[in-house]
Amino acid sequence: MILLSVYFLVPTIGHFENVRTLAQEKETPLPFYVYLFPPDEIKLGLDLQGGIYVELEVQVEEALKNKADLLSSDLERLLKKEPFAPEKIERNPDNSEILITPKEGQSHEEISHWIRKNYNETLIEAGGQNGEKRLVYHLTKSFEDQTRNYAVQQALETIRNRIDRYGVSEPTIVRLGGNKISVELPGMTDPDRALNLIKKSGKLEFKLVDESVADDTVRGWVAETRNESNLTEDYSEQSIAKINEKLKERLPVESEILFEIQRDPLTKKIVGGTPYLLKRKAEVTGEMLKNAQVNINNNEPYVSLSFNSIGTRLFADLTKNHVGKRLAILLDDNVASAPVIREPILSGEAQITLGLGDYQTLLREADDLTLVLREGALPAKLKELTKTVVGASLGKDTIQRGMKVMLMASLVVIIFMITYYKLSGLLADIALILNILFVLAALAIFQATLTMPGIAGLVLTIGMAVDANILIFERMREELRHGHSGRSAIEAGYHNATRAILDSNITTFLAGIVLYQFGTGPIRGFAVTLMIGIVSTLVTALWVTRVLQDGILYGLKKESISV
Amino acid sequence: MFNFQFIRRMNLFILVSVIAVGGSLYLMGSRGLNFGIDFKGGIKLHYRFSEPVSETALRTLLEPLELGDFSVQQVGEISENRMMIKFEVSEKEGLSSKITEAFRKGLNVASLEIEQEETVGPKAGSELRKKGILAIIVSWLLMLIYVGYRFDFIFAPGAILALVHDVLITLGAFALTGREVSLTVIAALLTIIGYSINDTIVIYDRVRENLPIMEKKPLRELINITLNETLSRTIITTLTVLFVVVLMYLFGEGEFQNFGFAMTVGCISGTYSTIFVACPFYIYLKEYGPRLTQKFKHR
Repeated sequence: MILLSVYFLVPTIGHFENVRTLAQEKETPLPFYVYLFPPDEIKLGLDLQGGIYVELEVQVEEALKNKADLLSSDLERLLKKEPFAPEKIERNPDNSEILITPKEGQSHEEISHWIRKNYNETLIEAGGQNGEKRLVYHLTKSFEDQTRNYAVQQALETIRNRIDRYGVSEPTIVRLGGNKISVELPGMTDPDRALNLIKKSGKLEFKLVDESVADDTVRGWVAETRNESNLTEDYSEQSIAKINEKLKERLPVESEILFEIQRDPLTKKIVGGTPYLLKRKAEVTGEMLKNAQVNINNNEPYVSLSFNSIGTRLFADLTKNHVGKRLAILLDDNVASAPVIREPILSGEAQITLGLGDYQTLLREADDLTLVLREGALPAKLKELTKTVVGASLGKDTIQRGMKVMLMASLVVIIFMITYYKLSGLLADIALILNILFVLAALAIFQATLTMPGIAGLVLTIGMAVDANILIFERMREELRHGHSGRSAIEAGYHNATRAILDSNITTFLAGIVLYQFGTGPIRGFAVTLMIGIVSTLVTALWVTRVLQDGILYGLKKESISV
Repeated sequence: MFNFQFIRRMNLFILVSVIAVGGSLYLMGSRGLNFGIDFKGGIKLHYRFSEPVSETALRTLLEPLELGDFSVQQVGEISENRMMIKFEVSEKEGLSSKITEAFRKGLNVASLEIEQEETVGPKAGSELRKKGILAIIVSWLLMLIYVGYRFDFIFAPGAILALVHDVLITLGAFALTGREVSLTVIAALLTIIGYSINDTIVIYDRVRENLPIMEKKPLRELINITLNETLSRTIITTLTVLFVVVLMYLFGEGEFQNFGFAMTVGCISGTYSTIFVACPFYIYLKEYGPRLTQKFKHR
């Protein structure tokens, strides 16, 4: 067992990971001894090796709205063919309601009957019966739940795909229950880029520019509104929504203002934004993409897009009917560019240029963008609930400090045990050292994660491990005082102390289980080391020291024991 | 062989405990606990600078950023030039890069880096606090059930009362010193619950063993004998753990040190409560319990 433990720890002590990467870099074959040992080192937690941990909440209400949008355009398409086609179908932008206004003189009955028949599972009527002109529909409870659940699942898949393509070793992406997802990326060096990649909605839309109002007028309106309502010069979602709200009266109903954001080529800070009045309806969306890839023209990287058959057809129709007008390309509700349609585009291909900047940065941006576009959009926005970023150097310091404390603790306990219990104390010390060895080996074998609190757990184990031996030795002393012989003292000591030792370790183990359930990441690491420590303590205290003690007694034919 | 009269003076010791627990509760109420951002929501940034910087310099740079209440604190060894900045903040994103930017411009240092960044949303924080309290209560209940099952339900309440005592006193110590209560401290509290019950179990086990042997002796004397019999192991087992956790407190840093502090207080309180809370309570239940049940029966 001892040999086995050592065997499993060799990779960690010898830093095989380093050996391996070194061999890979130099393209030399791995040294033979690497193959002789198991492949895994002790896995270090995020707090020790550096990396990112984020908990994200999927904004499922947004997914519901999107679903309602889809349903309402479905209804529009299907009901158009019916004799009782309604006057109009609207969406309440504040929630997921669908509002249907029947034609003048038409009764509600036929429409509501049709919807009951065809959309029984998804839509439920909520008012509008008595005298009210409009019919109001909500999503059914079960459909809402299903949509929410699906949105989280889909977000999880999308994030996973993006990260896999990005290439992070050993990412952990887990659904936490509810609408929450946790993402753990160990060893990440560029946290901002990784987070951007995860959080980018990846929503691609093509919308026509509303040419009924001149650009200068729009610009004037925006500036005026900013002044009037003391809005700061920013382009956040909230500010844009507020501007649209204030200008509601003046804007055409089916249009809204969105911005093209200008950034400083070097610092990437926002320096300004050009407002565009755009039709609300997206003519072509990212869902119709077949592929996206990075191309380079005159040393300027750009992303070229190609559409699938539906997309190609829609795009061809659109460009044919609007030659000379401008078509805005939107990424996550920001205008990327708004070129004029010079001629119908029938090939189903389009480009996104990336603005100014140095070549390397642009290339990286283009790479990230194609990745996001290819893996598809998130079903809803993500909100950061918690975030932890740890630099790699900090972890190394923590380990060193932890090891220092652990060494000191071991020394103090070892010396104390020898002075107080003499030879038996020495045996307990041997058991203790074995114990530490076993715990570390167990960590390597089960690939449990060692975290900073985990090191604390390890240190604590040193203090608690000898407790079992103390109970036994005290009991033996008692038996000896009562005049028992060495052998029967050992017998009685182990026999009587075992009960209490088991009980007390089980209680600590129970606390460990609760802790594991309660905690995340680092705390779980603590709970795991604590629990492994307890099991290992029971083995070493009840069994190893017993064997050693018996061995000394019988092997050396001694009649007395030193306790 | 020791022979302290623990039981004869037990009322006095219980009074000490009551005062300590009362004091802890009072401190928690009046001073409040200094919850870390884990539980409160907020942002914590660890910076490392290439040259020494003063806390006031950082403060003046942070002032114009409107972070609300923030704290700047030196961490680690002085030579390491590490600074921790902590603030409770709204939902704003990208604040850390703004701060880094401000430092880079305003300070005359060759390089600086964020070593650690932690952001916790206010909702996540309050959820975690609830979960933490729940975890503590669940483990109390688990211990109650376990001790009740292994011994009986006259033994169990005293043990649990001792655990409640330990948790409250540890938290009281945190309120007194103003140390930060973080996730690691909850881990320590749960460990204290699991560990501090150990010596209670050892004594209970011995009481159970002695009950048939010393049938003729009065209960109070029997308990006193048992306490004296087990005293040395109670002290020594606690001592070995104390060695370790005190070292953690003295030589550890940050969370590590916090853990050591919590464990140190918890261990001392745990031993005290085993002898002076759990056992007296057992005596009370044993002596007055039957009378109470009789009273109920007579009705």
